[in-house]
Amino acid sequence: MKRRFYHLLLIIGISFQGALHASIPNELNSANQSLSAGHPAEALTAYQSVLSSPDFSNVSAPEIWYNRGLAEEKSGDSLAASLSYRRALLLDPTLTPARTHLTSVLTLLGISEATPWSGPLFIRFHPDLLVLGGAVLGWLGALALVVLVFSGRYRKNKRPGLIGLALAALIFGHALSLLGAWADPRRLAGDQAIVSGKGEQTLRDTPADSAQAEGTLAPGSLITILSRNGAWWKISSGPKTGWIPSTAITTLLPPAAGS
Amino acid sequence: MCSISNRGRWIKPFMIGNILKLMQVFKTALIILVALWIFVGVMVSDCRAAGNTSVTAELSRAEINAGEMAELQVHVSGADNARVPQEIQVDGLQIRLTGQSTQVQMVNFKVSSSVVYSYIVMPMSTGKFTIPSIPVRTDSGTMQTAPLSFTVLDSSGVAGQTGAGGGAVPVSPQPGMPGFAAPRQVPQGNAPPTEGRMAFGEITTAKKKIYAGEMIPVEISYYFDARYPVQILSNPDLASEGLLVERFPDPKQSREDRDGITYNILTFHTLLSAVKPGSIDVPPVKLKTQIQMPGAVPPGFDNPVFQQMLGGQNPFTQTRELMVKTPSLHFDILPLPKEGRPASFAGAVGEFDSDAVVANPKPLPGDPAVLTVKIGGKGNFRAMGPPILTDSDGWRTYPPADKIDSSDALSLEGVKSFDFTLIAQEKKTNSPGSEFSYFDPTTEKYVTLSTKPLPLKASPLSDVVTPTATALSTPVQPSQGVNKSPAVTANSNDGEPLSSFTVRSWKTPVQRAEFLIGSLAMLLAAVSLGGILHFRDLQTRQGSVAEQRRRLTALWASLNSGTLDAASTYDAALEYATLLGVSESDEVILWITARRDVLKYGVGGSVLLGSDERSKLLETLGKISSNKASS
Repeated sequence: MKRRFYHLLLIIGISFQGALHASIPNELNSANQSLSAGHPAEALTAYQSVLSSPDFSNVSAPEIWYNRGLAEEKSGDSLAASLSYRRALLLDPTLTPARTHLTSVLTLLGISEATPWSGPLFIRFHPDLLVLGGAVLGWLGALALVVLVFSGRYRKNKRPGLIGLALAALIFGHALSLLGAWADPRRLAGDQAIVSGKGEQTLRDTPADSAQAEGTLAPGSLITILSRNGAWWKISSGPKTGWIPSTAITTLLPPAAGS
Repeated sequence: MCSISNRGRWIKPFMIGNILKLMQVFKTALIILVALWIFVGVMVSDCRAAGNTSVTAELSRAEINAGEMAELQVHVSGADNARVPQEIQVDGLQIRLTGQSTQVQMVNFKVSSSVVYSYIVMPMSTGKFTIPSIPVRTDSGTMQTAPLSFTVLDSSGVAGQTGAGGGAVPVSPQPGMPGFAAPRQVPQGNAPPTEGRMAFGEITTAKKKIYAGEMIPVEISYYFDARYPVQILSNPDLASEGLLVERFPDPKQSREDRDGITYNILTFHTLLSAVKPGSIDVPPVKLKTQIQMPGAVPPGFDNPVFQQMLGGQNPFTQTRELMVKTPSLHFDILPLPKEGRPASFAGAVGEFDSDAVVANPKPLPGDPAVLTVKIGGKGNFRAMGPPILTDSDGWRTYPPADKIDSSDALSLEGVKSFDFTLIAQEKKTNSPGSEFSYFDPTTEKYVTLSTKPLPLKASPLSDVVTPTATALSTPVQPSQGVNKSPAVTANSNDGEPLSSFTVRSWKTPVQRAEFLIGSLAMLLAAVSLGGILHFRDLQTRQGSVAEQRRRLTALWASLNSGTLDAASTYDAALEYATLLGVSESDEVILWITARRDVLKYGVGGSVLLGSDERSKLLETLGKISSNKASS
């Protein structure tokens, strides 16, 4: 039953995403072999090539982002690795290796981030599974409820237990779907970025170099973009709020995904 | 009136009297003029203070040794609501705002007000630095201070060139000291008292024989004759080679009578520690001040009327700078004993205890746990190193982050927390323990504290298999010799690339059109299904009602025909009443049932019912029928 359900999701997923170019697995294998052989720079170039291919404009692969993060980490670029791991986790929060490596590189960068409340939930269930599974359950409950309420045969039998069950499936399924949609890290990713400038970046109270410093942010810190004013973006990170040059930050979503 | 001969005799008294009167008038006018000049001067200077805004930045010392601190002050005049940055970014320096004070003073009839923002400057490295312009936002706009040069010498640099010798610059009187800056009654007379009686300093410390690294509190008190207004122009310049001096918190003010003179006392507290063993002479600690001395009253201004107008005060004062000094101090610095020094000793000197806590005892697989070791007590918190971890096999650890929570202004007492980030490399049920050693100068012995491993549940990522990774997975071509299974599992070999991949969208399902279309389709299906079922049910119900009507008509006809025997008549009546919806417990139903049973199982059931009884029965059924129809 479980397998059938996954197959159903697979069909839905493939119909959503379309077929991928056949050459991607070959490139991926080549990159993986380079990385395993201790050539992270070669592997990184190949991963970058795969991820920038037209097949990966609206969709992507968390595992490839994870592999790219490994290559960057092995090349000594912890900052870039942190971004790749974050993108891998954005696509698949259940990808535990990415989370572990992200924690590791953030520790090296001197950043301590609290685990979000949805962390324990998403270690077992992908948000897509919650949303789609919840929606299927909810609509099945809705259909059953319609049958029990509007069909004279079932109405005469007066089975409150069945009606309660259908109602519970309707409410629980849709609640699950809403929960998955709300807690999905991709929901807020469009307004998120990381500090990618070299060294600590100064937050200013107005969009000007000479403005008063409101604090500093370490490279790799996750920030939320509040507004944009030319080359200066207003951001927040925890209790800190201020303006920072847009050249010092990189959006969490790749530019192609944003478009 | 007067003869000529008399004119000369009378002229003189008349002239002298008039001249005296004129002089008296002139003198009174002069006094009023001076009073007006003072009043106007005060008002103009006050207005000028309010109208003109100026900002200046000054360093207490332009040159310090590594390990020492300096004070940076930003003076803002003529603006009440100024905003200055909390921190000033200079590579190699930590500059943080520590507080502000407001100064309102009248010196030589000139009133001025200013707000002083104090920063502490802590060097992180040696060299020459430039403190950039500091933006000060006021109601009238943003103003900038001038950049300042600052030099930090290494430990071999020349000591004792700091402080006053380095060009001490004015600082405001400390908060809570209103009497020190405001002018007050200056004693009459032109003979100033000797400097020793007017102002002097004292320095006291609990111990003069200390261990290297031991922190000892030092109290520096400056006594000022309460009759003379004093303005403090610098912080005490306590500095000596081989000594580390903490910053001075706000001084305390008190008053004391000594040898018949009332003194205002300004008391500074700080902490000292020595970096190396030996003998250290601390030179007199100087405090730069400005004292108003009584000056000579010019001729003509010693009039009692004038004195009364000024409230008995002497406005003719002279201001002079005075360097108030404490006696010198000698310390013997003892080396920390090498004998019995534990391996975990990392420079802590004092009296401490330790405690440990795990903030997240059940981290997710692969996630870090944080072990916080807290060292509390009294001693050199800034200099102490972290504890060492014990039983740390199977853990990946990182250098801890530390934080000091002081319980006093000098940071002599408090708690220093060390946060160790731990990542399990295998299944763990206990955290590492910790070991921390310090030297107790009281008992002159090393003490080792330890904390036990704490219970927790942590596991590495290799224990986890991602359950949903099979969904949407696209296996790599088998011909490439890679994993044929479509399932992607968490790689047990940490650091190896994942060989297959899944396709995921950057958008959530809810943000995709397919999901919305699917949801709308399901809604439409549910509504359609409900409609269809309701329509069919309606059809069924309408069919049964028509059938019921036909049966009622037939039963009524049979009952009216008089062809049925008695038992059958009551049977028909019972069915008729039931079809009309009469309840089984209704009296009519009960009566019909009882009568039918009597006729059916007794006598007379097979004969025709009497006309009276049938009429009564039909009448009853008719009433029921009409009641139902009306309702």
